[in-house]
Amino acid sequence: MIKKIKIAFFSLLSLAVVSSAYADLTFVSWGGAYTAAQQKGYINNWSGKVNVENYNGGLGEVKAQVESGNVTWDVVDILPDQGVTGCDEGLFVKLDQSEFIDDMIAGPVSECVAPQIFWAYTAFYSKSAFPGKKPKTIKDFFDVKKFPGKRAIHTWANATIEMALVADGVKKKDVYKVMSTQEGIDRAFAKLDTIKDHVIFWSAGAKPLEMISSGEAVMALAYNGRIGAAILTDGKDFDYIWDATVLEQEYLAIPRGSKNEAEARKFVAYASSPESLAGVTKHITYAPMRKSALKVVQKGEPWFHNGVDVLPHVPTSKKIIKKAIIADPMWWADNGAEVSERFGAWKGN
Amino acid sequence: MSIKEFVKFDKVDKSYDGEVLVVKNLNLDISKGEFLTMLGPSGSGKTTCLMMLAGFETPTNGEIYLEGQPISNIPPNKRGIGMVFQNYALFPHMTVKENLMFPLEVRKVEANEIEKKVKTALDMVELGEFGNRMPLQLSGGQQQRVALARALVFEPRLVLMDEPLGALDKNLREQMQYEIKHIHENIGITVVYVTHDQSEALTMSNRIAVFNEGKIQQISSPDVLYEKPNSSFVAQFIGENNQLNGKVTSINGETCVVETDTGENINALKININKVGDNSLISLRPERVYINSKEKFDNNFDAVVKELIYLGDHIRTRLEICGNDQFIVKVPNSHIGLKLSEGSSVKLSWKTEDSRALEAR
Amino acid sequence: MSEITNSGILTTDGIPLKESLKKAERKNKIRALLLVAPLLLFIFFTFVMPIGSMLTRSTDDSYINNVFPKTFKVYQKWDRVGLPSEEIYATMFLEVKQASGFEIGKASTRMNYAKSGWKSMIKKSKRKFKKISENDGPFKDKMIEVDKKWGDPEYWLALGVMVDPTTYEYYLNSFDKKYDSEKNIIDQPEERRIYTKTWIKTFKVSILVTFFCLMLGYPISYLLATLPLKYSNLLMICVLLPFWTSLLVRIVVWMVILQQKGVFNNFMVISGLIADENRWQLMYNQTGTIIVMTQILLPFMVLPLYSVMKTISPNYMRAALNLGASPLHAFWKIYMPNSVPGISAGGMLVFVIAIGYFITPELVGGKDGQMIGNWIGYHLKTTLNWGLSAALGGILLVIMTVLYWIYNKLVGIENIKLG
Repeated sequence: MIKKIKIAFFSLLSLAVVSSAYADLTFVSWGGAYTAAQQKGYINNWSGKVNVENYNGGLGEVKAQVESGNVTWDVVDILPDQGVTGCDEGLFVKLDQSEFIDDMIAGPVSECVAPQIFWAYTAFYSKSAFPGKKPKTIKDFFDVKKFPGKRAIHTWANATIEMALVADGVKKKDVYKVMSTQEGIDRAFAKLDTIKDHVIFWSAGAKPLEMISSGEAVMALAYNGRIGAAILTDGKDFDYIWDATVLEQEYLAIPRGSKNEAEARKFVAYASSPESLAGVTKHITYAPMRKSALKVVQKGEPWFHNGVDVLPHVPTSKKIIKKAIIADPMWWADNGAEVSERFGAWKGN
Repeated sequence: MSIKEFVKFDKVDKSYDGEVLVVKNLNLDISKGEFLTMLGPSGSGKTTCLMMLAGFETPTNGEIYLEGQPISNIPPNKRGIGMVFQNYALFPHMTVKENLMFPLEVRKVEANEIEKKVKTALDMVELGEFGNRMPLQLSGGQQQRVALARALVFEPRLVLMDEPLGALDKNLREQMQYEIKHIHENIGITVVYVTHDQSEALTMSNRIAVFNEGKIQQISSPDVLYEKPNSSFVAQFIGENNQLNGKVTSINGETCVVETDTGENINALKININKVGDNSLISLRPERVYINSKEKFDNNFDAVVKELIYLGDHIRTRLEICGNDQFIVKVPNSHIGLKLSEGSSVKLSWKTEDSRALEAR
Repeated sequence: MSEITNSGILTTDGIPLKESLKKAERKNKIRALLLVAPLLLFIFFTFVMPIGSMLTRSTDDSYINNVFPKTFKVYQKWDRVGLPSEEIYATMFLEVKQASGFEIGKASTRMNYAKSGWKSMIKKSKRKFKKISENDGPFKDKMIEVDKKWGDPEYWLALGVMVDPTTYEYYLNSFDKKYDSEKNIIDQPEERRIYTKTWIKTFKVSILVTFFCLMLGYPISYLLATLPLKYSNLLMICVLLPFWTSLLVRIVVWMVILQQKGVFNNFMVISGLIADENRWQLMYNQTGTIIVMTQILLPFMVLPLYSVMKTISPNYMRAALNLGASPLHAFWKIYMPNSVPGISAGGMLVFVIAIGYFITPELVGGKDGQMIGNWIGYHLKTTLNWGLSAALGGILLVIMTVLYWIYNKLVGIENIKLG
């Protein structure tokens, strides 16, 4: 009898050891359509099991986990300034970047990150709102005389500052140079002042699309993937203003102290392969960060999952990237807090 | 308006749900200065009558008159009727004095007048030094007196009391009964008092209206009610009462003969039986029964002592007689007292006029 | 007799009574302690410890002082005029070069709070200093060559605020003040003054929300407490129904109703009460925040009010009427004072929840509806400036404590009734 119990005990124990060797990876991303695209694009084809969790961004949770020594996340989908700060503060482990470092359109921002996608703050409108002349440039977005009506913008400062400067006549390549001076920031806020009375604010990504659909606003800034989905799958009559669209980078990183670090490293290499990145673009119109992945998309057109060409909606495609600004995460890491406070003050007044 | 119709219930019906009548065709006159008690078991409609009088309920039909004026359309705060509530309803956030000042202040009585009246009222209930206490710092009896003082301080035409002594213990309750009675006698105000306690009713009232099932069963002075109940309900409800079942065998004017189930013939007053052959219930007060008396009585029967309970001033004796083993006789504990023992046989006797033949229910 | 008074009363067995009593009670005390022990431990580990550690962060500046101890030592000697001496440059150079990557990273995040730009400067320097030998001084010009910001006195001056391992800078920041390089307290530049305004706004919104909750909640609670049970249960469900639906769903519904092309404005336009071009802005501003928060927090007002009103005997109102008071007077003088424990409990509850609210203001606050909680969240998540978050949170805690104290003085905490 006791022998039997012993056998059962040891077999259970060995089972536990084996299963912990093949422990599930915890992959943390933003949820919604983007994470769904990641799942369909590559996670589902991964050999191991992956638990997908959602979070609201920021480094707060990662910092708390690393500092307490109880790290439950294995791979985190992060923004570039988190990639910078998190790497600086030792919240993330360094990665082998040799595979992709020469294949990237921009970045990587630090030694701790692997490429994922570009997403963009893009201005857009409903064609029906402007039956005559249609807005084409960011100047038009800031011109409430020529194109009257409410503008919907997000409650934080990113991209809006850059766009305001371009609308005020700054060349795209000089934007961050101008922004690095006090006068440059003043200039951006002065430009923002011109539309202040015509602005409504959103903080959840679905809102700008609703606002345009309902006529609450005539033009809005939104995440380009949302606009793409509205046009490609919902058949909305929206159109982009690609001028001065601000591209933001999106990376993967592994928190220091992950319990499955080796497995996580393999997964991150897989997740940042050209095929995986192109796989994401199959389901959402965010842009792969690797040139080779863009080629995969180009060859595969019509690449979008419902059989339409996707490149006209992808902000790194040849025609669009010329009009775009690639956001400088270093500038935002340096100045983000200060500009945000100022933006908050500007909003409230 | 005559003095007899100070308050008049005229064909009053009350129903809450449109299906059951809680008060049925109530007609009642209360004269000025009278202490009238509405007595009855719970659910008999007595409190509803009081609430209609106070203005918290409206009669479904009929009208109530106060000093000859219909009051159904007068809101409660304009009726000038004082009320002592069950559990007193003293305002817990005000001192005793403030509680008493409240009715005077809303009547815009002058400040020094208020002071005087409050003092008089507090003195009346012997709580002169308690004016600055909060109600919850007082004992139950003291709270009761404050409630009484508050109901009287603004000199209402009429005072209503809704089971005001229900929450007090027995000794205090008896003491308060006398106090209320004395206050009533001293200031001569009209009081309508609701209770389910018959001894309370007997102690205090000029007249008692016995309620049952929404109707007044009998209304008369305490002694009449006790001595001469005109229904078996009243006989049972008021005081202690022995009951003997039987059939009417003959009727002779005011009296009749009832034969019990075990064959004894009892001579009794004919109260509300109609004809020979009717079932009847004979009501007999325990204190009107004599044990082994040498005097001559109309009714003499043998009985067996079943139980003796020593109660100090008297011995409560349970006997079996005429097939009823719940027959109670109170034997005074006087020095000439009888020496009874359980199981012994005795002779019981009583007068014809003390046994009342009522309808059997 | 005198013996007894000297040693206290003795039991029959001659043991002092007090001692005997203590012994008898000890078992009970231990038992009681064991019973509450799990709760105490739980509260300690989930409440006292985290809050304590958060509060220490609000004044802690030791990290940076451990990374640059020598630099700060020589820095003290600097007269704060022009650029510092070569000694300071050299010490800084060596300490940046020798520190580990993490230390430098964390330190640069801290330095960036004092002056934007430190982060990239330190990061760049750490990389490029590798190529410069430690014996290759003087370093001043070499450093300025690496990043010209090393030649900007502003950055050097900003170091001054960090020289102590304990700092009140985060608390100063919370009220739009800061240190200059000699630790004098000065105002933040005009365009960065945001927190004082936000504090005022947070108070204003919380007070208004509490007020509206009371105005709406009082009659409902009264009805709930006085209706017969079968109706009051139904009404109670109506009150609690929004409680059971997801917060986000409720907020989205409010958006549909309140936006400019929303149900409410459409109704107002169709009924001709307002002109089409003058639609009210009820969303994405303070008005929206107040409306939505009032609805969300209403149950927190209704429940304590209801439970208190339930205990107010209907006889009080009857007695007041009977004594001659008009219904209004009776309500004001008798009913209302007796419901004060409910009002204060509900008011405290709503106010305390409202003052720390951030989800609703984030979603519907738009341009001027955001509260202090939003900034706490921002610094907690985005800038990782936990010191400032902790300071803002600490101030919130102090405000609550003060309110609680005032409340206790005025109303008495024993008068709070939640049920």
